[in-house]
Amino acid sequence: MTITSTVATSPADPLGSPRRTGSGRKNQQRREAIALVVPSLIPIIIFSVVPLLQGIWYAFTDATLRRNDTADFVGLDNFTRLAGDAFFWDSFRIGMVWAVSVTLIQLVASLGLALLLNSNLRFRSLTRLLALIPWAMPPVVVAIMWTMIYAPNGPLNHLLGVVGLPDDTNWLGDFDTALPAVIVVGVWVGMPQTTVTLLAGLQQIPAELMEAAAVDGASAWQRFRSVVLPSLRPVILSITSLNFIWNFNSFGLVYVMTEGGPGGKTMLPMLFTYLEAFKNRNLGYAAAMGVVLVVVVVLILAGFLRSQFRKEAS
Amino acid sequence: MNRTSAGVRTLQYIALVGFILFLGFPLLWLVSASIKSSQELAALDMSVLPRQFHWDNYAVALQKQGILRSALNSLIVALLSMVLVVVLSIPASYALARFKGKLRAVGVGWILVSQVFPVILIIIPLFVVLRNAHLVDTLVGLVLVYTTFTMPFALWMLQGFVAAIPNELEEAAAMDGASRFQTLRRIVFPLLMPGIVATAMFAFVAAWNEFFFALVLIQSPENYTLPVALKMFVGGEGKVALGPLAAGAVLATIPSLIVFSILQRRLTGGLLTGSVKG
Amino acid sequence: MGTRRIALAGVALTTALLAACSQGSATNPDAGSGGTAAGAPVTIKFQSLQDQPAAVEAVKGIVDSWNGAHPEAKVELIQAGWDGVYDKLVTQFNGNAAPDVIHYEAASIVPFARDGYLADLTSKVPADLKSDVSDGVWKSVTVDNKIVGMPTELQTYVVFANKKLLEASGAKIPTGDSMTLEQLQALAKSATKGGSYGLAWGLKSPTATFMSLGLTSGGTYFTGTGKDAKINVGEGELAVPKLVKQMAYADKSIDPVSLTQSGSQALASFYAGKAAMTVQGSYQAANIKKDAPAGFDWVELPPLAGSQGTAQAANPQTLSVNADSPNVDKAAEFVAYFAGAENMAKLNQADALIPASKKAQDMILASTGGKDGWDMTMKSAQGLTGAPFLAVDAYTQWKDTVATPNFQKYLANQIDDAGLTQALTDGFGQVNR
Repeated sequence: MTITSTVATSPADPLGSPRRTGSGRKNQQRREAIALVVPSLIPIIIFSVVPLLQGIWYAFTDATLRRNDTADFVGLDNFTRLAGDAFFWDSFRIGMVWAVSVTLIQLVASLGLALLLNSNLRFRSLTRLLALIPWAMPPVVVAIMWTMIYAPNGPLNHLLGVVGLPDDTNWLGDFDTALPAVIVVGVWVGMPQTTVTLLAGLQQIPAELMEAAAVDGASAWQRFRSVVLPSLRPVILSITSLNFIWNFNSFGLVYVMTEGGPGGKTMLPMLFTYLEAFKNRNLGYAAAMGVVLVVVVVLILAGFLRSQFRKEAS
Repeated sequence: MNRTSAGVRTLQYIALVGFILFLGFPLLWLVSASIKSSQELAALDMSVLPRQFHWDNYAVALQKQGILRSALNSLIVALLSMVLVVVLSIPASYALARFKGKLRAVGVGWILVSQVFPVILIIIPLFVVLRNAHLVDTLVGLVLVYTTFTMPFALWMLQGFVAAIPNELEEAAAMDGASRFQTLRRIVFPLLMPGIVATAMFAFVAAWNEFFFALVLIQSPENYTLPVALKMFVGGEGKVALGPLAAGAVLATIPSLIVFSILQRRLTGGLLTGSVKG
Repeated sequence: MGTRRIALAGVALTTALLAACSQGSATNPDAGSGGTAAGAPVTIKFQSLQDQPAAVEAVKGIVDSWNGAHPEAKVELIQAGWDGVYDKLVTQFNGNAAPDVIHYEAASIVPFARDGYLADLTSKVPADLKSDVSDGVWKSVTVDNKIVGMPTELQTYVVFANKKLLEASGAKIPTGDSMTLEQLQALAKSATKGGSYGLAWGLKSPTATFMSLGLTSGGTYFTGTGKDAKINVGEGELAVPKLVKQMAYADKSIDPVSLTQSGSQALASFYAGKAAMTVQGSYQAANIKKDAPAGFDWVELPPLAGSQGTAQAANPQTLSVNADSPNVDKAAEFVAYFAGAENMAKLNQADALIPASKKAQDMILASTGGKDGWDMTMKSAQGLTGAPFLAVDAYTQWKDTVATPNFQKYLANQIDDAGLTQALTDGFGQVNR
C-alpha cells in the first residue's frame, strides 16, 4: 500500500513517536485539527457566535423591545435585581427538579430498552421502529395528545379504573400530581434519542470482548458491569449531559400542557425567561437570567464532566 | 454463546412489551382521535374505538393549511440539515475527541454555552443577521440555521462515539504507515457508522420537529414547515380542532417513521468485526 | 467501497434538495414592498389569523372586493396561526419586517402600541363608523390617546343551559335583559341533584374571566396607566371569585373538575348531562350547535349582572397598521373599509362573534332571527366596555406569574380571601418595579 502523505518528508506519525521533536509534532497536530474543524466554523461563527455574543451583551444593558430602543450599558444592575427575584429562583428550583428527574429516569429506562433491543429477541426491527414513535411526533401534537390522555375522563384514568385503582385524579390540575405528570411526558419524549444513542454505543462494543468475558465464566450481570458499562461510559456521559441541558432548557411542551400552572408548580426557568423577554419586553433583564442559567448549568456540568474526564485519562 | 434461561427470556419479552406500550399507546390514541367526529371528541367518555368511523378529518387536514406542501418543505429542510450536519461534524468531532489542548476547551465551551443559552434571547439578533443576508423567509436560511444549531450536539455526541473507539486501532494503522486521512477513512469511519447514523437521526428529527425558528423566520404560508402548519389548527383562546389536528399529526408522523425505518437498519453493528489486527 | 457510494449519494441528494429548496423559497422579506413613486401600484401585506373555514372565506371575500375596487393598492392576504403569532410579531417588529396590516386582539396589541410600533388611526376612522361603535369599545383600542386598532370582532362570557335539566329542577328559565349573579347561584343550587352538578365552569385560566366579569361588580383592579398603575383588590374585585368559591365548596353546585379545565374541555360534562349549565365564551354557541348530542335542548341565558350591571371587559380583535409601513395611508383606508358594517356582519356571523358596529349587530340579528343564542349574545354585547387593565404595563407579567397561579390556588381552596388579596397586591408590586 503506497503512502501518499501530504504533510512532511518523514513517514506520517499521528500519535507521536520519539523520532520527531516536540514542537514540530504539535504544529502538525494543530494544522490537522484546524483543517478538520474549519468547514464547520463558518456557519457557526455567523449564525451562532455572533447572535450569542449579542444576546450575552444584552444582559449588561437595559435593552427592551421598544421601537428604536437604545440599549444603554448598566453594568451589573440586572444581576443585582435578579439576585432578589424570588419568582426566578422558584422557577430555577422547579427546573432543577424537573431536569434531574427526567434525565435520570430517561437514562435508566433507555438503557434498559437499549439492552433489550440489542439482544436476540424476536421482532427486532419492528420494536426498534416502535421505540422511535415519540420522536416522530411534532411537539404541539405531543402536548395536546398527553393532555387528552391525562384528562380526568381520559384513557389513563379509565385504565386505572379497570384495574381497581382510583380513577378520578385530575393529573394536570392537581397541585401535587402536575409536576410528576409532566415529568413522565418529558421522559416519554426523550426516550427515543437516548435509546438510539445507547444502542449505537452498544453496537460499538467489540464482540470479542463480550465473548472473552463469557468464556472466562462471567455472569450476565458481571459482563454488564465490567465490559458493557466501561465501554459505554463516554456515550453515556455525552448523552446524559446533553439530555440534562435539553431538559433544563425545555419549555414548549410544559407550556402547552400547563402554562406553568397549576399555581406555578410547573413554571420552568426557560418559561419564566421567555415571559420576561417577550411578554414583559425587558430583553436586558431576561438576558441576565439567561446568563445566570448558563453559568449555573455549565458549573454543574463542568464539575461532573471534569471528574469523568480525569477518570478517563487515567 | 449466550444461553439465557426461558424464565429470563420471558421477563425480557414482558419488559419489551411494557416499553412498547408506554411509547406507542399515545400514537394509538392519536389515530383513534383522528377518526372520531367532533361530537364524539367533545363527549365525556372516550373509548379507543370510535362509535362511527369518521374519515372526514383526513380530508379536512389535507385541504386546509396546505399540510402536504408544508410536509414537503419540512422534508427538504430536514434532509438537507441532516446531510450538512453529518458532513461538517464528522471531521470536527474527530478533532475534538482526539486532540487535547486549547482547541478542545474552546470547542467544548462554545458547545455548552450555545446549547444552554436561551434561544429566545438570540432570536432577534439572528433575525437581523438573516435579514441582512436576505435569507429570511427562505428554506435555505432555515437549513443554515438548523445546521448551525444542531451542530453543537452533533459534535458532542459524535465525539463521545469517537472517544469510544480505542486509540490502539489508529496507532496500529499509523505504524503500518497510513496517513491520518487514510486512518480516518479506513478505520474510524466504519467503526463510527452507528454513531453517525444516530447523529443523522438526531439532526433529521431536530429539524423536522422544530417549531420556534420556523414560526419566526418564515413569513409566507407556502414556505411553512409542518409544525407551523399543524399549529394553525389551534385557534384563538386555545380552541383546538382536535379531529383534523389528530389527522394531520398522524399524516405528519408517517414520513419520520419511514426515514427511521430506513436509517435504523444501519444502526446494527456488523461493521465491527474485530479489526484490531488492521 | 461503501464510503464512496455513501459520499456520492450524499452529494446527489444535496444537489437535488438544494434545487428543490431554491424553487420553493419566496423572496423579498421586506415589509410593505411596492413602488414609492406616487401613482405606482403598491402591495399591502395583510397578516390575518382566521381559523374557521367560513371566516377565512369571509375575509377572502372582503379582500377580493377591495382589490377589485382598488387596483392601485392591492392587498396581499397572508394566513398565519393564532398560536405563536405573538412571538412572530415581536421578532418581525424588532427585525423591521412586519406586515403592513396586522390582525390581532386589543389586549395583546397594547404592548406593541406602547413600544411605538403601531400607526395612529384616530384621524383615519370615518365619522359614521366612529359613532356606530360604543365609546367603551373605542376605549379598549385606545392607547396614550391614540386609536391603534380598528375593532372587528368581540365576545362576552355567557351562560348556556340544558333546558330539560333546569326545568326538571323546578326552576324557571330566566329570559329578559339580564340575570343577577345571585340568580345564577340559586339556579345552580337547585339543579344540583343526583350525580349531576348545576354548573360546569372551565376556569383553568381564570384571570381573563375574573378581570372581565369583575366589571359587573365594579371590580376594575387597576387605576392609572403604564408604569404608574396601581392595583386595588377590594369588594368588587373579589365578588365573582368569592361566588365561584362559595358555589364550589358551600353549595357544591360547581363540578370541581371543571375548575381546572379549559372552557372547551368543560363542555364535555355539559353535553353529557352531568352539568345543567356552563359559562363559556359567546362564540361557543356555534360549537354547541354542532357538537351537542342529538336531541340536546339548550338555551342561552340572559347576560350576567352584578351590582354595577352587565359590564364586561371588551377585548376586540383588531386590525392595526404598522407605523413603519411605507403605505400607512392606504393601509389605514383598507382597515377602515374592512371594519365597515356590512363586512363586519358577514365576518362575525361566519365566526360566531359579535361585531363592534351596532349596525352590523342589527344585521346579524335580522339574518339569524336571534336564534341559536344570538339574541342573548347581542344583549350581552351592550355591556362591553374598555377595562383599565389593558393600559397597565406589567399586566401580562402579573397575569401569568401572579394572578393565574394565585387564582388557581384560591379556587383550590388553598388560600382564602385575605391571602388572595395580599398575593395579588404584593405580586404586582414585585413585577412592576
